[in-house]
Amino acid sequence: MNNRQTQTRLGLGAVIFSLLLAGLAIPRWVSSPSNVPNIVLSPLFWPYVLAGLTGLTGLGLLASRAFQDDDPTPINPPIDDPRRGALRLAGMALLMVVAMGLMSWLGMVWTCMGLLLATALLVRTRHPRAAMICAVAAPLLLYAFFAHVAGVAIPQGQLVRLP
Amino acid sequence: MSMLDSLAAGLALVGNLEAFLALAGGIAIGVIGGAIPGMSATMAVALTLPFTFAMQPITGILLLLGVYKGGIFGGSIPAILIKTPGTPASSATVLDGYPMAERGEAGRALGMSLWASCTADLVSNLALILVAGWLASFALSFGPPEFFTLILFSLTIIAGVSGDSLLRGALSAMLGLLLATVGLDLVYGTNRFTFGDPSLMGGLNFIAVLIGLFAIPEVLAMVWHPTGHLGKARKLGHNRVTLADYRRSFVSILRGSFIGVFLGSIPGIGAAPSAFLAYSEARRKSPNRANFGKGEIEGVAAAEAGNNGVAGATLIPLLALGVPGDVITAIIIGAFMVHGLQPGPMMFIMNVDIIYGLFLGLLISSVFLLIIGSVAIRGFRYVADVPRRLLVPVVLILCIYGVYAVNNNVFDVGVMFAMGWVGFLMMRCHVPAAPFLIAFILGPLLEDNFRQAMLMSGSDPSILVRGPITWFFWALTVITVVAILRSGLKSRRDAAPSGTPDPSPRS
Repeated sequence: MNNRQTQTRLGLGAVIFSLLLAGLAIPRWVSSPSNVPNIVLSPLFWPYVLAGLTGLTGLGLLASRAFQDDDPTPINPPIDDPRRGALRLAGMALLMVVAMGLMSWLGMVWTCMGLLLATALLVRTRHPRAAMICAVAAPLLLYAFFAHVAGVAIPQGQLVRLP
Repeated sequence: MSMLDSLAAGLALVGNLEAFLALAGGIAIGVIGGAIPGMSATMAVALTLPFTFAMQPITGILLLLGVYKGGIFGGSIPAILIKTPGTPASSATVLDGYPMAERGEAGRALGMSLWASCTADLVSNLALILVAGWLASFALSFGPPEFFTLILFSLTIIAGVSGDSLLRGALSAMLGLLLATVGLDLVYGTNRFTFGDPSLMGGLNFIAVLIGLFAIPEVLAMVWHPTGHLGKARKLGHNRVTLADYRRSFVSILRGSFIGVFLGSIPGIGAAPSAFLAYSEARRKSPNRANFGKGEIEGVAAAEAGNNGVAGATLIPLLALGVPGDVITAIIIGAFMVHGLQPGPMMFIMNVDIIYGLFLGLLISSVFLLIIGSVAIRGFRYVADVPRRLLVPVVLILCIYGVYAVNNNVFDVGVMFAMGWVGFLMMRCHVPAAPFLIAFILGPLLEDNFRQAMLMSGSDPSILVRGPITWFFWALTVITVVAILRSGLKSRRDAAPSGTPDPSPRS
């Protein structure tokens, strides 16, 4: 994707987003009392102003394409295998979702141990042993600090409870 | 009591080993706390507060002030080394500090950060001592219309951090402003984009958004392209900041310090906007403005001067009026009260020895910061030598603990992950993240002050131009906007004759 294509997509995205905000999101998810004396005091006023400005920015982005050359150079450096890259990203998203789900059941420390190790493997670390040591030590050290020094109630989970 | 008597009384209070140890210990705790992403100077001060209860009032308060000052500087260490600001105030330091670290000049960036921090700290302390009364009375005359115009002017700094495309910066800022509307409406208490979830009613946690936007995209970029960093210089080398670097950045450091002093003396503004404004002003005035955002040492100096300039100045309204300037001074006011002291005009009469003791302690703190900061840099900078594919997963875990610890809420971790994906998409589309963050900080302040002004005036907009302070800020805003437009047009004109149109004009 070159610079001009990016600008076009951003512009279109901003315009569509502002229309969605003004037509759907603000009426549905921003509530306002019926007795507001003046429109500028309404909780709806600011979101509508911002939706309008977002739309204008989007139009500005679309209009500014005219001043840009159609240089085909991609704005981001290419990677060897984009499909694998996308799969790794999907894997990371899945890891995040699983970590969020597991945190209350397994506890933050054990979840973070798994997440750290899985992330290190996902980025193909050249130091798997060091990654394993970090995966055990880092969450435990952070737990010791936050739970015992800072007094933060780190989620313990249902299976193994730490002192 | 004459000024000399007061100074002597103050010296008698702080001229002992206990006070010096408290100050040095506080700075060390603060630097460590600030250097841990997500911990923040606020949390470090809050955690230290209970330890001061058993101390003498002056010792306890010096300890907390040391933590505060150390924390603000400490935030720059991870900002430069791992692109993760340890405190919100260090967000602007990332813009040039991290590119310098990428280039193998982390030592130089950290050194400049320390020197700029200490200089700004000294300027801020002197300002507190010399002009506390006058600045406090000026800040007292700010009402919602004045705050609205000030914040509107502050939003023009977005132009300075938008990189090549002003419109992409504006889009980023709009998203930040929109995200800041999430939560309960402050005037009517109605829901705005809460989707019926009580976790969203208080709005999104600033730290979660900050870390999500700056740190998580780095993790995702590493996942997308694990070998992308190979071949890039990231060693610290033996680069140290030189006197020539310091001299070249001195004007920016002084300007940033004064911006910090001015904004710090106004309650509620805080160090992050000050850092961004100082950075933006340095960029505007610098002959090296083209290098800003790509690893310009003057950018690091300006940002650090901006945020450290606030540290002493936030004590101006605290000591002179009893009004806390930010969250940290609100915690510190608690320490005063625990010790039976009531900050305010009467304290200058009843406890003048403590006031002067604090002034002297603050002056000494700048020297301690320089010494302890140098040691801390040596200790922390080796983080940059850790293999990135090992460091990044550890940073992810650090972010999770840090974000969770702010509110003891797992929901915030989810917000951080979500913002990480937003930040990653923005990174891929070359939409700058800094305007998003500035708008997210300033958005609620802008809206609240606007609506308060409208409530005060019965919706009469003329209140927004009610006096010299508002005129001053309106004029500054107009001048800045005109300057931005002129600069955009000029860069386009400059690009046209060369026959190579600007691929990403400031349009």
